Amino acid sequence: MSKGELPLAGVRVADFTWFGAGPIYTQVLANHGAQVIRVESQSRIDGLRLAHPMPEGKYTWNVSGYFNNFNASKLSFALNMKHPKALAVALRLIAISDIVAENYTAGTLEKWGLSYEAMLAVKPDIILVREPMQGAGGPHGDFGGFGFVITPLAGVSHLSGFPHREPAGLGTNYTDYVINPGHAAIATLAALHYRNRTGKGQVIEVAQVESSICAVSTAILDYTANGRVGTRQGNRLGHAAPHGAYRCAGDDRWCAIAVFTDDEWRALCRAMSDPEWTHEERFATLQGRKENEDELDRLIEGWTAERSAEEAMETLQAEGVPAGVVQSARDVLENDPHLKARGYYVYQDHAEAGRTAYDGPGFRLSKTPGRLQSPAPMLGEHTAQVCSEVLGMDDEEMAQLVMESVLF
Amino acid sequence: MTDPVETSLALGDIRVLDLAGEPGWYCGKLLAELGADVIKVEPPGGDPGRRIGPFYHDEVAPEKSLYFFAHNTSKRSVTLNVAAADGQALFRRLAATADVAIETFPPGFLESIGLGYQALTQVRPGIIVASVTGFGQSGPHSHYKGPDIVAVATSGMMYLAGFPEDPPNRPYGDQSHYCASIQAATGILTALLHRERTGEGQHVEVSMQEALSMNQETAMQTWDIRGELRSRMGNERRLPAVGVYECQDGYMTFYVGIPGFGAPWSSLLQWMADEGMAEDLLSDEWRGVFQGMDMRLIAQLYFGHDAELAAQWKPRLVHVDEVLVRFVRTHKMQEMYEEGQRRGLLVAPCNTPKDIVENPQLNYRQWFATASHPELEATLTYPGPPYRLSDTPWRLRGRPPLIGEHNREVYCQELGLSAEQLAALSGAGVV
Repeated sequence: MSKGELPLAGVRVADFTWFGAGPIYTQVLANHGAQVIRVESQSRIDGLRLAHPMPEGKYTWNVSGYFNNFNASKLSFALNMKHPKALAVALRLIAISDIVAENYTAGTLEKWGLSYEAMLAVKPDIILVREPMQGAGGPHGDFGGFGFVITPLAGVSHLSGFPHREPAGLGTNYTDYVINPGHAAIATLAALHYRNRTGKGQVIEVAQVESSICAVSTAILDYTANGRVGTRQGNRLGHAAPHGAYRCAGDDRWCAIAVFTDDEWRALCRAMSDPEWTHEERFATLQGRKENEDELDRLIEGWTAERSAEEAMETLQAEGVPAGVVQSARDVLENDPHLKARGYYVYQDHAEAGRTAYDGPGFRLSKTPGRLQSPAPMLGEHTAQVCSEVLGMDDEEMAQLVMESVLF
Repeated sequence: MTDPVETSLALGDIRVLDLAGEPGWYCGKLLAELGADVIKVEPPGGDPGRRIGPFYHDEVAPEKSLYFFAHNTSKRSVTLNVAAADGQALFRRLAATADVAIETFPPGFLESIGLGYQALTQVRPGIIVASVTGFGQSGPHSHYKGPDIVAVATSGMMYLAGFPEDPPNRPYGDQSHYCASIQAATGILTALLHRERTGEGQHVEVSMQEALSMNQETAMQTWDIRGELRSRMGNERRLPAVGVYECQDGYMTFYVGIPGFGAPWSSLLQWMADEGMAEDLLSDEWRGVFQGMDMRLIAQLYFGHDAELAAQWKPRLVHVDEVLVRFVRTHKMQEMYEEGQRRGLLVAPCNTPKDIVENPQLNYRQWFATASHPELEATLTYPGPPYRLSDTPWRLRGRPPLIGEHNREVYCQELGLSAEQLAALSGAGVV
């Protein structure tokens, strides 16, 4: 593994995270050169290893696309933390690591004996990154959850969608995928920078509910400053019209269109070949378009419905109108010429899962671009390698730990 | 920056020039609140985003945009017309003092005025420039306009949000701006660590479309691995107690009955029974139904791979769901949250902004931050830290800057312009 040129080469992460918000962020570090050692075990298996999508008829721990997409570029070290002898092994790893990452319910690591003090004793400048749901302490400190319940807790569900519908959220565990892992990555990298400067480690806590509320900041201020409790506005925006998703030809095909300025409005009219109705006075200004938005949307949909979403996007963008196909997963993976030209999705060959697609890095560095170093590891795939190459164990010691189900 | 106070700021040694419009605002804020000196470089008259509401007390004015406030705290502001030759010269002087620049112009714009990444390395070797746009710097759509709704649409995440009978939903609040800003800040800090080792800077590129992609959850892999297309399913509760239920004063989210996720169905049933609202679900017939629901069956019902099995189970699931609907409807959301979580169930209210501001956990942890706005004769309460660093705490370092508030401080005191020079530039519309 040649990682010599990547920015985080030489940084080692003892990765005790599981599910989404933890593993996604340690993958960012791994894709940019850190050696990330996933500490996991059959005795407490990462739920995502059991989750769909898996290939039909092949349901094993190692083939979940959900798990694999978040764990590329890492090593898997099977260590059974429920075994009393595991603590010493974990501390040996921490003693030669830069970062310890975890997102268990508060107190879980301590139950294993992995308190921050125990870590400091073996690695005085360790950076410990915790991602509890609510943060330590307080009346809800031990409340459970993940993105499915954090999205409504953080206000995202209440504020998203059409006003006549229930606040059903975004169809995903939204905050697990960029917002929370992204904040954790930023704090970790800032702490590395600070350690480079001062030699000091520290403890980082990313309370996922707190981190997620940052993504609805305007609504919070509108309440604290104006006393206004915002509500669902569908696809509309106060300072734009038209603004929404418009039905196009085909089955469930849509094109998003957004017009913020009068220039964009005139460009939209041109792109639609200036039909009669576009000359009506009531649509000439933003205010007029807002006041007649239902009618405006209906008329625009008359134009979009006659063409494919792709044709609508290309025709509009060619005139300078913001527009984009509401793409499905099939579109982004197979049809989007732009993503394809940029090579965003990458394929990895995995011993059990075969050749499958992964998300590429979410940002690109011109001189030291991140990349997937390897497919997601199979459970315990690198246990022997970590024992000998990282921990410096001899075969005898390793065999003993295997026999005692410590390495399990 | 050897001020002892600054050493407790993680990024206290970093200066950032923030040329960013809306999509990159949050990136600068993230860096500023970790201690970087972030100088917002606005066009004379101010960032156009200052004209977007909501506004403080609904008074429409560029110094009163709450949308702007929310994403520009802790920064300084100078005004500068980078389209003018004198403006470009002044920007180069600024850049010579900077570690990082953030920009959101259309691809190629900064190059066209001589301020692209390569040009800036001439005045500041080792500079890191981050560019955030809808579709990135290269590729056939790179010049497409990409406001939030276009980015969320093309990313694949909008396809998953909403009810099947409605158009797909745009998430609230410019989520593409948050995600792209987070990716940009991560890229900047990664580049900074590389620079510390090698002295070498680089260009960080973020496409909003790509920055959002991970939010598709499993949709991309579900297509890739199984050839099945995930799409929006509204509040279709394929399993009882997995979804959103109406209560007396709002809505509750339930995630109960999935092994490994909180207390099991029997705990929810016990709660209903304790309040005399389990109806017939305690009978042997219904107990058997719950005991038969193992993970394999749940997965089959949830993903609907076996139509016959789903049809067989549907009436039972509908009945259970109806009993639960009646139970939830008699409760208040915050009470239900406390009691459900006390019983170990993964339940949560669909909080409104008011619920969030009044949340006992956030207040116990003193999460909210305040900033004094002397011009408004008010102190505003802001969202608090996304993260807490023990030795270098996040800090809201001040209200957002007024337009050009720090022109004199930056241009005269720090770059050494005379008052006359600044007045001349101001007169010429450069500053």
